[in-house]
Amino acid sequence: MARMIAQRLLAFLPVLLLVLLIVFALSRLIPGDPATTLLGPGATADQIAALRAQLRLDEPPLSQFFSYLWGVLQGDLGRSLKSGAAVTQELLERLPATLELAISATLVALVIGIPIGVLSAIRANTPLDHGVRIVSLAGVSMPAFLLAVLLQLVFGIWLGWLPISGRNSPYFLGDPVTGFAVLDGFLTGDPEAAWDAARHLVLPVMVLAAFLAATLARFVRNAMLEAMAEDYIRTARSKGLPERSVIFIHGLRNALLPALTVLGIKFAELLGGAILTETVFAWPGVGRYMFDAIRNRDYPVVQGATLVFALLFMLVSLGVDLLHAALDPRIRRRVGQ
Amino acid sequence: MNIGKRQAAALLAAAALPASAMAQSAREIRQRTLVIGVPSDPANLEPGTNRAEPIGSEIILNVFDTLVAWKAPAFDTLEGRLAASWTVSADGKVFDFALRPNVKFHDGTACDAAAVKAALERTKAVNPYMRASFDPIAGIEATGPLALRITLKETMPVFLSLLAQPQAAIASPAAWERHGDAFSVNPIGTGPFRFRSYRRDTDVVLEANPDYFRGAPQLLRIIYRIIPDASTRRLELENGGLDIVHQAGQLAAPPVQDVRALRNNPDIEVIEVPSQIIRQLEFNNNRPDSPVADVRVRRAIQHAIDYDGLLSGIFGGTADRVYGPLTSNSWAFDTRMRELAPRHDPAAARRLLAEAGVQPGQLKLTMYSFQGALWGAVATFLQANLAAVGIETTIAQTEFPAYRALHVAGRHEIALDGRQPWYNDPDAHITIGYLSSLADSAMTFRMPKDEALDQLILRAQTEVDFEQRKALYHRVQAEIVARAPAAWLFSPKLIVFRRKGVQGLVVNSAPPLNEYWGVSKG
Repeated sequence: MARMIAQRLLAFLPVLLLVLLIVFALSRLIPGDPATTLLGPGATADQIAALRAQLRLDEPPLSQFFSYLWGVLQGDLGRSLKSGAAVTQELLERLPATLELAISATLVALVIGIPIGVLSAIRANTPLDHGVRIVSLAGVSMPAFLLAVLLQLVFGIWLGWLPISGRNSPYFLGDPVTGFAVLDGFLTGDPEAAWDAARHLVLPVMVLAAFLAATLARFVRNAMLEAMAEDYIRTARSKGLPERSVIFIHGLRNALLPALTVLGIKFAELLGGAILTETVFAWPGVGRYMFDAIRNRDYPVVQGATLVFALLFMLVSLGVDLLHAALDPRIRRRVGQ
Repeated sequence: MNIGKRQAAALLAAAALPASAMAQSAREIRQRTLVIGVPSDPANLEPGTNRAEPIGSEIILNVFDTLVAWKAPAFDTLEGRLAASWTVSADGKVFDFALRPNVKFHDGTACDAAAVKAALERTKAVNPYMRASFDPIAGIEATGPLALRITLKETMPVFLSLLAQPQAAIASPAAWERHGDAFSVNPIGTGPFRFRSYRRDTDVVLEANPDYFRGAPQLLRIIYRIIPDASTRRLELENGGLDIVHQAGQLAAPPVQDVRALRNNPDIEVIEVPSQIIRQLEFNNNRPDSPVADVRVRRAIQHAIDYDGLLSGIFGGTADRVYGPLTSNSWAFDTRMRELAPRHDPAAARRLLAEAGVQPGQLKLTMYSFQGALWGAVATFLQANLAAVGIETTIAQTEFPAYRALHVAGRHEIALDGRQPWYNDPDAHITIGYLSSLADSAMTFRMPKDEALDQLILRAQTEVDFEQRKALYHRVQAEIVARAPAAWLFSPKLIVFRRKGVQGLVVNSAPPLNEYWGVSKG
């Protein structure tokens, strides 16, 4: 297993290199000059040229790429053209916010999506199943921005139960310890701050989790229907196993394998959704950082944030593969060989 | 030990006292905290590095002081801030400032003539944005502990206005030496508010400076909450999460439907103030191969536009008409411009096109525009106006960086654009916009070589006598209008939404930044 992990980690390198190359090329193909944007109104051609030289934008693209790559190998992702701060530092500051959101959304999606999928499958073609399918179809189809505004209106404005935006109330000014707001609240002995942060987490997590939960529910339902029609289920039932054991031990365990694959793939979409969700909910994460950077042609930030997203996606894929191995003895055997 | 009920109650009360006092204090802080919604992070919070980025500039205005400032509520005369008084030599080149005594920076160091000299020299050296403003400075001398002399290389009547810009504010020399590069996120000035914290993408927190030389502000704290999405800002304002939302971007404008909805909200007051911002359909005046090189075509386009229809149909009262290169609220505005300005006259437009040899349907132009619903609506309106006189246009809404690059390279023929003056002087619109020697720099009208107009503009820029200067600007406006370098469309009002209870806010128009020293929250 350790060898498989090492091999997979090694395989990350060419993928990351390719990601870097593509993003580097794409960011320079988009029309627009960062120096002109940064200097703003009244800048003369000389000033623009001087800033371009200062930012090394006047060098050949290949030379820019290799010097960037050399920096990346040393953990230096360059400096933001907008703020002048180190991109690595700025990403590290924002990463906990995105992770807090993504992990919470994934957990919520798992907790909601899998049981609903199972329930829908064991009550197939009943009104409950039809209802679940309609709701999950809506969840898959609804644009995140629309769901975000709807939730803000319903839970923030009409019911007044939850905050509309931000990661905590503006009056909580505590310094971050880990960067995970809820955890920091507890670590600093301020449960009120933790509760405040948790309340702020609910709406963006609901938006991100809705799509994932709906997708999972649909996949688990279909996979369960297939699994429950297999011979081993009939055998299990004929052995007199209780129905609960048949469903959860024999049915769900097999149905989870394709669902896990979907989870791994959809995690990339979840990260893409984070860009919009973080913007609408004023969530200070990597997605929003990237969105601003694209608008400002802040090349080092776009490259750095893409690298982080790519890395996260690959790590999740690795995690999914490990889970596959844990759930499926055939894979374990193959890995062992 | 036995204690009676009364003693127990007394003990309980004593134990509860500090908690209730703390709660009282927290409540008071909330009541006296102003929460302002802004769309993006500030870029550099100190004068040496800020390049007229609006959110950082407003924070600078509240954390630092300038030597002079525009006096509220009219903002038409300058008053002393760090300068108690000043004199200007007869030739307009030497400015002697007497500084206020006993003013201290937030770090406790003295704000004296030596500190002011050091601060201005540093900004001149390190902030490229201030080159145009500070390059004419020949020297800065501390002629006494509280006496400062600034000598210019040439006469420059606008210089005092330039000193009122946030980027000309005075920073603590001791602080920038201590913080180095980090000073831009640890600003220390003399202003009514002290910088407390900045969390990227989250908020900037300022706290009252109780020792402020004009008196302690009434607010205890200001929090700038960074909320990029406009609809979220509106929801937060309606829900009480924000006290103030204002336009904080040169190209931003609140949607008209938001303005209408918020006007009807009893909890919110909409403040609308005429601005000096100008939006225009501008021609590439430096492209001889284009049909718009012919002044008759340019005039035809000017006459094709239904200016009043644009204001009522698209803006619903949130913008004013612009008659020429200056807004009607500029002190140099020539009222004759109202007569000289082109009127909506499709027949005249068709006649001019015919005179220029352009047949109906023959002229096809690409109209570049910024992105956003408002710009799209304006572009579509103009497209219909131009179609009515036989000019076919394709709208190309372009992202800001790409748009600016295209503009600087001069690849457009017609484009929607805008200018926002950063200091209260006609120079801010005229010199940068219309001086032909600056044609290739960003955000100009790319005027063709024009010695006569250039000389007139430079004379107006350097004339010391106020009345003569005003007369020169009147001539400049007439000359520019005669050349038809643009169809000046509208001036959006500065719109600030505030929740009822926020008092004392006076909105400045140039630059459109607010000072919160006199603001309170009831």
